[in-house]
Amino acid sequence: MQLNPSEISDLIKKKIENFDLSAEAHTEGTVVSVTDGIVRVHGLSQAMQGEMLEFPGNTFGMALNLERDSVGVVVLGSYQHITEGDIVKCTGKILEVPVGEALLGRVVDALGNPIDGKGAIETTETAPIEKIAPGVIARQSVDQPVQLGLKSIDAMIPVGRGQRELIIGDRQTGKTAIAIDAIINQKGTGIKCIYVAIGQKRSSIANVVRKLEEHGAMAHTIIVAASASESAALQFIAPYTGCSMGEFFRDRGEDALIIYDDLTKQAWAYRQVSLLLRRPPGREAYPGDVFYLHSRLLERASRINAAEVERLTGGKVKGKTGSLTALPIIETQGGDVSAFVPTNVISITDGQIFLESNLFNSGIRPAVNAGLSVSRVGGAAQTKIIKKLGGGTRLDLAQYRELAAFAQFASDLDESTRKQIERGQRVTELMKQNQYSPMSVAQMAVSLFAANEGFLDSIAVNKVLDFEAALQLFMKSEHSELMNNINATGDFSNEISNSLRAAIESFVKTHSW
Amino acid sequence: MSELATLARPYAAAVFKRAKETQSATKWSKSLAFMSDILKNKDISVVVDNPKVDKQRLSELLLDICQGHVNEESENFLKLLVHNNRLRLVPTIAKLFEAFKADDEGYLEVEVLTAYALSKEAKQEFTATLEKNLGKKIHMNVAVDKSLIGGVLVRAGDKVIDVSIKGRLQYMQKALK
Repeated sequence: MQLNPSEISDLIKKKIENFDLSAEAHTEGTVVSVTDGIVRVHGLSQAMQGEMLEFPGNTFGMALNLERDSVGVVVLGSYQHITEGDIVKCTGKILEVPVGEALLGRVVDALGNPIDGKGAIETTETAPIEKIAPGVIARQSVDQPVQLGLKSIDAMIPVGRGQRELIIGDRQTGKTAIAIDAIINQKGTGIKCIYVAIGQKRSSIANVVRKLEEHGAMAHTIIVAASASESAALQFIAPYTGCSMGEFFRDRGEDALIIYDDLTKQAWAYRQVSLLLRRPPGREAYPGDVFYLHSRLLERASRINAAEVERLTGGKVKGKTGSLTALPIIETQGGDVSAFVPTNVISITDGQIFLESNLFNSGIRPAVNAGLSVSRVGGAAQTKIIKKLGGGTRLDLAQYRELAAFAQFASDLDESTRKQIERGQRVTELMKQNQYSPMSVAQMAVSLFAANEGFLDSIAVNKVLDFEAALQLFMKSEHSELMNNINATGDFSNEISNSLRAAIESFVKTHSW
Repeated sequence: MSELATLARPYAAAVFKRAKETQSATKWSKSLAFMSDILKNKDISVVVDNPKVDKQRLSELLLDICQGHVNEESENFLKLLVHNNRLRLVPTIAKLFEAFKADDEGYLEVEVLTAYALSKEAKQEFTATLEKNLGKKIHMNVAVDKSLIGGVLVRAGDKVIDVSIKGRLQYMQKALK
């Protein structure tokens, strides 16, 4: 006979000591009907909105519809064993999930149960999944950057701590790839990451976990997975679960980054639940509160000031601000951003990273459309050196796009137009970056500086990336002090500019690319 | 069941209002109970569920059976139910009517399950305690259920107070898991 680890007599003794034997009064109801994970319960006149209800067989449900004679409940998990006439008990609690440092490095389901086979999660703290976002007084403006490690994004569409930046694009345009690179790049920065996978294939989730482990990024990451095979109710609550786990860090004066991959599927799951609950359908058959579904979730991503952190921790943490940065992902159909859910989320977030399939197919990866992508608050948070050097990139690309269409027809162009087009081609080429290879601030600065100062103009377009790779290698081996200096301060001065120019000039002389 | 309650509520409310006006709540309660007993009969429910049976004949049949147990007003009520095809609601209407009545008279129907039969004194004391606890007069139905092992289980509407050994053991089983 195998002994269970929870059966050690000391543990049992402790449990018996803490065993609360108060006469419990609760309210009960009976199951009237079970349809596709939605249970109607008669009775339960005291049930609260969002309350956890207990079914037989250690199954729980969440009360979503409170009606005159019945309560509509979504079952969290399997519902096959629930039958008409079963007793349902109120627990008096809003749905809660475990939170804490112990979750880092783990893969959990939408209820916070571990699914990675690494044993129980050693945390005693729990938090309700639905919380009201911090108020106006508690907030502080965004002024510190989150480096995603991607040249094209950090230079042109910077993201700040506490910002909500949407990643939007068709299927197969590299949305998840950006998110994963962002997580990998947070290694050693102290930013905790939460990756919420909603309605994805289990194989994709396993892939993400493996990639993160390979790059040593699991240690600062929590993965919340509600795969396509799990019930719609779990897919619907998974983002809130992840958000509560992220808020734990925010409220303790730390920084966290949460990725919702993706909210389109969450909206689908919510639509399913709502229609089964017989709520009236609206546009595209979504229920009336689909905007609130996303706005209340994304509103919780925020930067809070030191006073609020001090209040929340009871004075234990002083003088530190906390932040939760959100990168929601939305999948569009055929590039249609004017569909219901994409327009909603675009209007909620502080900017979007727009990915295009034709860019992706023509080899520009990450396939960021620089014209349509914006960051409404990130500029204030950008590192000084990237801000200074990246400004030119945006302009170069904008002018290039304008001229490129026109240049296809004209055979002979004047000197300045030709120069601008050539510059544009090279900058476009330079913005390409391989997956799983995020760059530091200094590396980005070197590449951008080389482009701005015209060092690339004499290089053939198809050699630009080779030039860049060799330049980075050269800088790493020959000028590591300068690079460390830039990484540490992020400042830009004449002195740094001069030493960068000198270094690149000496590299160009080697002709080693 | 929940849908039935929604449908039955206007009927029950109407009957209760009428009963209060004519001060015949007890009579109504009896006739409603009788009607729901009839409708529980298998032979009757076959007839009731058969859509081919003429409405006129069905109401005549039911009134025949009910003779002596219903007055003129409840006869009319029965006819109305036949006309609206709502005979199936009668048990729910009866239940809701009782609930309205209990609410109006200010008492609570309480079901008590005990492991052992209560003595008269114990019952009185228990009633007093419960009345204090629930803040209302109560009508107590006591039944013995040996499977509780010990203690009592009180059920008042959807509120349940479980102080039986069985309930505690189940709770403990969950806590120790």
